[in-house]
Amino acid sequence: MIGLLTAAVSFGALLYLAALGELISEKAGILNLGVEGMMAMGAVTGFMVALETENAWLGLIVAMLVGALFALIHGLFTVILGAEQVVSGLSLTILGLGMSAYVGKNAVGRPPGAVLAPVDWGFLSDIPWVGPILFTQSPIVYFAVVCGIATSFVLTRTRTGLALRGAGESASTVDASGHSVVQLRLGAVAMGGALAGASGAYLTLSLTPQWTEGVTAGRGWIAVALVIFGAWRPGRCAIGALLFGGLLALKTRLQTFGVDFSPILLSMIPYVLTIGVLIAISIRARNRPSSAPAALGQAYRREER
Amino acid sequence: MGRLVLVRREQAVKGGQPLAFLIGLVSALAIGILLLVLSGHDPMAVYERMFDSSVGSPKSWSITLNRAVPLGLAGLAVAVAGSMGLWNIGAEGQILAGAMMAAWMARIGEGWPSPLLITIMLLASILGGALLGLGPAVARAQIGVNEIITTLMLNEVALRLLQWLIHGPWKDPDSKGFPLAPMLPGEARLPGLFERAHWGAVIALVVIALFGLVASRTAWGYELRVAGSSGETARYAGISLKRKIMTVLVLSGGIAGLAGGIELSGNADRIVEGISAGYGFAGIIVAALALMRPSGVAAVALLFGAVQVGGLSIQTMGVSSSVSTILQALILFGAIGAGVFSRYSLKRVQKEKQVGKEGLSE
Repeated sequence: MIGLLTAAVSFGALLYLAALGELISEKAGILNLGVEGMMAMGAVTGFMVALETENAWLGLIVAMLVGALFALIHGLFTVILGAEQVVSGLSLTILGLGMSAYVGKNAVGRPPGAVLAPVDWGFLSDIPWVGPILFTQSPIVYFAVVCGIATSFVLTRTRTGLALRGAGESASTVDASGHSVVQLRLGAVAMGGALAGASGAYLTLSLTPQWTEGVTAGRGWIAVALVIFGAWRPGRCAIGALLFGGLLALKTRLQTFGVDFSPILLSMIPYVLTIGVLIAISIRARNRPSSAPAALGQAYRREER
Repeated sequence: MGRLVLVRREQAVKGGQPLAFLIGLVSALAIGILLLVLSGHDPMAVYERMFDSSVGSPKSWSITLNRAVPLGLAGLAVAVAGSMGLWNIGAEGQILAGAMMAAWMARIGEGWPSPLLITIMLLASILGGALLGLGPAVARAQIGVNEIITTLMLNEVALRLLQWLIHGPWKDPDSKGFPLAPMLPGEARLPGLFERAHWGAVIALVVIALFGLVASRTAWGYELRVAGSSGETARYAGISLKRKIMTVLVLSGGIAGLAGGIELSGNADRIVEGISAGYGFAGIIVAALALMRPSGVAAVALLFGAVQVGGLSIQTMGVSSSVSTILQALILFGAIGAGVFSRYSLKRVQKEKQVGKEGLSE
């Protein structure tokens, strides 16, 4: 049981990082369906940098940079050129999956150059239950928690956060108030890419320290789902991440618990739950304002305001 | 000093989309050369192999054609929804649903006369895809649930369902423990056309042409476009939006399902997890490049089929087949970029500080 909860936190952080990135991007009005591709790019670059330099931290940083740069392709096409966000995002996923497979061809099956070792919390990890679950994790897990709190703080308590949310609700209003919608949105998209890249690097530098083509295995889609499941709120997304992470962790442990239920069917649950939540949100939105950013998916061209 | 802004042209550049497509193709190939050189391959030799293996002989044409069938149908499925401004991101899952239904019929109907069995399989595949499209359709039409996310989620659900079938109820007892479904019976195989090509190409072409005609020549098609451009106008003209949304999304699912049925019956030995090699997602790119027009879908699908077949062929040269994946995404990005400039032009505007914002932006 402790093993399951520990793994739930580990997997949860993986999903949470990518979902946070997507949340920031969507809050600014840009739907980025390229998460899976950005994760794959982060996963491959993180692993390969660690392979060359034997420095996992450097791998993480480069993965975040590459993730951000990669996301800016989506930014260029959707924010600046006003292209359809769905198409551009999906192409980014396809490009990322292809590019990561191409770049990482020679790294397949090689042992990692370096891994992000779990943080040593000293006596804290000896506390029963809480110790192993919370205090034996990879540093990226704590990074994810910090990112979540920071995101929540910036979005709700700062002017930049207010402007960013404004760009996703009513871009022309934000524009009129003197902020640059383009800058806000590009920044949000890049941030989203950096976090997706970090999530990917966490996968190949810590969780399953190796690179294989398609290592992201659809987790980017779960991250997209998680944003909706969490109703665009960092806190609720964290709860969702633990839940979905728990389901991922449970998948490999069903047999050991002696439960006769297909682990494959179990892995359907996050997607089905998300559809359910989306329907619930839509029904509620008939009576009061929806929690989804109002301008999500819409291009903004000042000249056509 | 000034600032560059995009200004909408009074009229889009004539022939802009084919031109944009060409620019996309050329820039994708150029970036491809860069990638190949960086990893120490001879780009011209690689491209030559890709060209020869995809369109260099009747046999290669037949392989390309087979590949273009699911791409074209998936592209059409997306275009059908897109013609009304809806996004069906679920073609991938609907293809799987179609293939599952067809495989199920093949299990039941082993020993039936071949034409009967194949007809039933294909009809069932349409039903399978339509069923998967039904949920998002109802949710969108009745409650206004965003169809992008629901269709996207159902992709993963359909994939898990297929995995479960292959690992469980449909597992071949003779497969020595491997999670494999049994081979399809001979009666379930689509007959051949020429070389490797099967009849799926004809079916796909008929379906695409049919929708093209219906969309451009009938009142229904006209209403569809009206509803797509403005829901307000449609309501005013007495067009039932709810019913249109339902029909279009279910129809879209059915077409994608058919792609799965044809792929199983025409190309596969048995139903496998990877029965759809990303056709549903590629279909979205195909439809976007074709600007949601059926005739364009057929042409772009053929080109993407060739790129994919070419990509598979270069593996023997030690080049990763992911080159073709990269090329497809780059073609789209290049074409989007060029497409924007066929509708917009770059203008330099003066700094706004002295003039004040409102004055210039109008």
